[in-house]
Amino acid sequence: MSELTLAAKKRHVTPAAAAGRELYGLLVEFDDVEALKAAARRVREGGYQRWDAHSPFPVHGMDEAMGIRHTRLPWVVFFFGLLGCAAGVLLQWHTNAMDPQQFKFIPTFLQGFDFRISGKPLWSFPANIPVIFEMTVLLAALAAVIGMLAMNGLPRWHHALFGHPRFQRVTTDRFFICVEARDPKFHETRTSELLATLGGSEVERVYWPQRSPPPAWGRITGLIVLCLALFPPLWAYKMNVSLKAQPRIHIIQDMDNQEKYKAQQKNVAFADSRAMRPAIPGTIAREDAWALGTDPHFYEGRVGNAWAASFPPQIEITESLLRRGQRQFNIYCAVCHGLDGSGNGIVAKRAREKTQITSGWVPPTSLHDQTVRDRPVGHLFNTITNGIRTMPPYGDQLSVADRWAIVAYIRALERSQNARLEDVPPEVRSELR
Amino acid sequence: MNSAAPAGVLDEQRRLDDLAPKLALGAVLVGLIGLAVSLVFGFIDGWAVFFRSYILNYAYVLSFALGALFFVLLQHVTRAGWSVVVRRLAEFVAGALPALAVLFVPILVPVLLGFEGVYPWSNAEQRHADPLLEWKSPYLNPAFFVVRCVVYFAVWAWLARYYLRRSLEQDQTGRVESTLAMQRWSGIGIVLYGLTLTFFSIDVIKSLAPEWFSTVFGVYYFSGCVVGFFALLAVGMVGLQRAGRLSRSITVEHYHDVGKLAFGFTVFWAYIAYSQYMLYWYANLPEETFWYSARQETPWWAGVSILLVIGHFVVPLLALISRFPKRRKNWLAAAALWVLVMHWVDVYYLVAPRAAQLHEAHPVSAAPLHVTDVSLLVGLGGLFLFAVVRLMAGRPLMPERDPRLGESLAYENI
Amino acid sequence: MASRVLEFDNTIEDPRQRAPLVLGGRDFTAVTDMVCAVAEAPRPPLAWYIAFTISAVLLVVLAAMVLYLVFTGVGVWGLNNPVGWGFDITNFVFWVGIGHAGTLISAILFLFRQKWRTSINRFSEAMTIFAVLCAALFPGIHVGRIWVTYWLAPLPNQMAMWPNFRSPLLWDVFAVGTYFIVSLLFWYIGMLPDLATFRDRAGTRARKIIYGLLALGWCGSSRHWHRFERAYLILAALATPLVLSVHSVVSFDFAVSQLPGWHTTIFPPYFVAGAIFGGFAMVMTLAVPARQLFGLKDLITRRHLENMAKIMLATGSMVGYAYLMEFFVAWYSGNSIEFFAFKSRALGPYAWAYWVMIVCNVVAPQLFWFKRMRTTVWATFAIAMAINIGMWFERFVIIVTSLSSDFLPSSWDIFIPTWVDLLTLAGSFGLFFTLFLLFCRYLPIVAMAEVKTVMPQARGTRHHGFDYNPDEFDEVAPT
Repeated sequence: MSELTLAAKKRHVTPAAAAGRELYGLLVEFDDVEALKAAARRVREGGYQRWDAHSPFPVHGMDEAMGIRHTRLPWVVFFFGLLGCAAGVLLQWHTNAMDPQQFKFIPTFLQGFDFRISGKPLWSFPANIPVIFEMTVLLAALAAVIGMLAMNGLPRWHHALFGHPRFQRVTTDRFFICVEARDPKFHETRTSELLATLGGSEVERVYWPQRSPPPAWGRITGLIVLCLALFPPLWAYKMNVSLKAQPRIHIIQDMDNQEKYKAQQKNVAFADSRAMRPAIPGTIAREDAWALGTDPHFYEGRVGNAWAASFPPQIEITESLLRRGQRQFNIYCAVCHGLDGSGNGIVAKRAREKTQITSGWVPPTSLHDQTVRDRPVGHLFNTITNGIRTMPPYGDQLSVADRWAIVAYIRALERSQNARLEDVPPEVRSELR
Repeated sequence: MNSAAPAGVLDEQRRLDDLAPKLALGAVLVGLIGLAVSLVFGFIDGWAVFFRSYILNYAYVLSFALGALFFVLLQHVTRAGWSVVVRRLAEFVAGALPALAVLFVPILVPVLLGFEGVYPWSNAEQRHADPLLEWKSPYLNPAFFVVRCVVYFAVWAWLARYYLRRSLEQDQTGRVESTLAMQRWSGIGIVLYGLTLTFFSIDVIKSLAPEWFSTVFGVYYFSGCVVGFFALLAVGMVGLQRAGRLSRSITVEHYHDVGKLAFGFTVFWAYIAYSQYMLYWYANLPEETFWYSARQETPWWAGVSILLVIGHFVVPLLALISRFPKRRKNWLAAAALWVLVMHWVDVYYLVAPRAAQLHEAHPVSAAPLHVTDVSLLVGLGGLFLFAVVRLMAGRPLMPERDPRLGESLAYENI
Repeated sequence: MASRVLEFDNTIEDPRQRAPLVLGGRDFTAVTDMVCAVAEAPRPPLAWYIAFTISAVLLVVLAAMVLYLVFTGVGVWGLNNPVGWGFDITNFVFWVGIGHAGTLISAILFLFRQKWRTSINRFSEAMTIFAVLCAALFPGIHVGRIWVTYWLAPLPNQMAMWPNFRSPLLWDVFAVGTYFIVSLLFWYIGMLPDLATFRDRAGTRARKIIYGLLALGWCGSSRHWHRFERAYLILAALATPLVLSVHSVVSFDFAVSQLPGWHTTIFPPYFVAGAIFGGFAMVMTLAVPARQLFGLKDLITRRHLENMAKIMLATGSMVGYAYLMEFFVAWYSGNSIEFFAFKSRALGPYAWAYWVMIVCNVVAPQLFWFKRMRTTVWATFAIAMAINIGMWFERFVIIVTSLSSDFLPSSWDIFIPTWVDLLTLAGSFGLFFTLFLLFCRYLPIVAMAEVKTVMPQARGTRHHGFDYNPDEFDEVAPT
């Protein structure tokens, strides 16, 4: 306190007679806008820096009168807007377009994902623009508000001027100018004289409010609240590492515990207490013979331990079989292998165009390759049934006879690309050129 | 005169005077030379190319007049005070609409002749061959097209001339009734304007690719018209002040406002362009996307698309976002010139590629740039400027007795 | 104050002067008294209590319906296949749209320097906040398992699962969320000077503390005003594209699909125009009773109502234009399914809803071409009510007709709302009006500081630019 009094003496400020109150500044009140502006100009010309005008609304022309320079707030907003824009881009790239394999150092719960959906490219810029825009606006707006408040020093709930009774009217209809005692040019007498000539009310003195320390009950309550606030995170942590045998309390059930019998459970309604019932007599299994392994040649294309080199006896190579094979081939196989079997189906073509999805794409084999032509028919049958590499199995989609028909047709296709002129019937030979 | 208006307003030069005949002569010469050169090249390169360039540059030049007309109507509807000083300039630009009606007639030639190199639907055989064109033929046929165009230009010419006439007459009489009348008609004027502009853009620009459709197309062309007009206005204001006209009435506040409007409508244009693009991209329906495919699948057109995004949106956005550049004449004029160029690129983007017929496998892109694209810009631009200067000659460049003129002269920005 | 026999008519058109916006020759003190009286009066008017009771009852109904929905499931609504969106999304779009008018008045009219906005912007912004709250309720409860709606946010989790940013439903989350936050900030910041007024006039200690806390210590300093005005301008400039984007993103929910009647490029600007149209109708619905009940007729004058009517006419015309374009291009496109969708709107099972929409949205606002209609208070109120109804039906028609009859006739089905649907809609009005009535009673209902800036006393005794003599131009015009 004595230090302040010393400083006050330097500025020729007489300390208040009562209770050591420090002078905050001198206040003048005005009736209207013109008077305020004129007065502001005079104070500014007087060379004061720590002073302010107060009004119930922003007065047009006040910035020039007071010499207020343009605020830097727009730059702050612009910067945060750009930051928001970048954040929007990064967020969407990370969460929808990034291959986590290339960024293994990122922990699992923060890892991104290359999200493929509805055929759209991973980085779908047109679709990402709305969120980028919203993030830009959000951060810019937050910067504007928080920046403005911070630059204005708000919230500032204790202001020396609030203690002054007339100052209550600043928000209704009165105008004020206050020169602070902390201003370097402040001189209690000279400043007072200047203010008296400005055309306002009498010059009034404003003192710093006496700040009392927070009450004891406030501090204790604050401490208790702080301790209580630590409970939830500590409890959550404890719950996370609990090693109890009992299951956790499951509040929201969703459909997690369904009241139904599962395969190996007990069910006392039946005499043998089993929930699962045996098959009744006369039940026919799918592909029974296959399941029993009685005819591996027909069902698996196997003779002994080798692939069957000939068609099974149930399959008779007739034109109708080949036509059936052609029909089924065109439906199921041509999409990848092409109608001629050379591996140029529309799926293969599209995959080539979609250069993005080259990883994992194995082009379909041409059925005219020597390797394929050399394969026994049983091997081909097995490939159709069980798939190979990226080709899916078709055993569930095609009956056994149909699969053999397709194998026969494949042989016919291969023959068509590897035939000699003698193989062509004479009546058709003339059509060839 | 009160002290709030700019000093020396009464003494400034408010007419073109000797500048008018020089400008008019220069403009008409340049215009005729440009037209002549274009006709020669049309003969050499083919009329399909000639008419493509003609439609492109005509739509460009017309967009200024239409933007100006919208500005005039809008200022009256909103009872605006700030813009009075510059409104006469807009009235002159819009006043060229009757001249532009004459310049439209060459476009009717290929339509009436059924030349499918320009408008595929104008050819009767094409119409009957393509079921989609057959479906649209009650609307897209030469006779109805001509009737509609007559209606559009009649409405525009009447509106433009009415507003110019009444505004000029107020210079003499100073009567408030002129303003009241102009205000009274502005509401219905905007409604008519909106409908005619929309259907004009559908008929003349969108029907170049008759299988394509978009409900927001009229709004798209409209946004281009307004952006283009504000850029032209800024350039015009700076140009006139450089030549010593209106040196006091047009203040930095007017520049600021024109800059703000150019900025705002650039963002609006980008918004409309984006919504049209993104919706068609997202749903990915071939009957809608082929139009865009033609505009991005070759390197040239992909480049033009990216140029539009960056040059027509990002660059003007950054150039005009801050308060300070908008208040500097040179900066504003430079930005405005840039926008004028970009607006041409935008109209080029709309008109130039011939989007494919639905039954073709791949879109056909027309050759990127022809001599006629530039020579017709010079030709039509020159003639348009000639029409505007002819109107300005001997008349005040500012509505001298508009009741809100004082407000406009003393206007200050936020 | 003695009541005047004649009400001053500031709707007269005179280009030579700007109409006064605060009537009755009032000064700053009188304006402050008039506005603060609404919150400071010992008891609000009886009508306030009646309105509050009704809306509180509806709010309870809403809570009951929402709880019933959460505990029973979405089946309590009338949704089916194919009409998976019914009242829920209709209400969402309806309420979000209403919110847009508040931002338009605050932000866009501010940028266009329309001084008349100062009397209505405060309660319009409040209306925005409450409308967006009502709106956000519906997507929240329509998901089925509302306890996992946090999955919509990009929160890190052990499954490396992220939201799908390519979906317009997620753009909605960001757009409406941003809109709510920015509107709230804009509203609150704008209220600081008026909260300070409340603080300085507070009678009881409790009021002084509460308003004092909320006012953040605002002291009317000119240096603060400078930054405040700049921030306000920046927020207005940000809120303008934001409000355009929010309803555009809402329209994207429909327009990115391939459904006939939904997939059309004019949806974004059309929805925005429709939102402003419907929102202004709601502002009018609130303004007319408020000015009457709270004695604010000299602040919210007939000129203000007339200007709002003109904006409704303009935006209503834009909506009508969009209807026309949709129908024309549905024919022009040659897409028979699209054309059928539009014919079935007018003539099919929901034709009654369509024609209610047309009469309320296209026909009714045309009355605003006539000055008598714009300046008669009860007429503006009635037409605004019609527009409110029409705009709800517009969203209903768009959503339900397109869903109920899409591509495959075998999938078609009719949507019939259940009583839960209807009561939830009614209850949302309860939420809205309860909050709004509380706002009227406890917060500054008019932006006093802004109103003062548009009064003649704010510019000082010297006028600017109004008393030039046009004849002086003739004397010195060069030849």
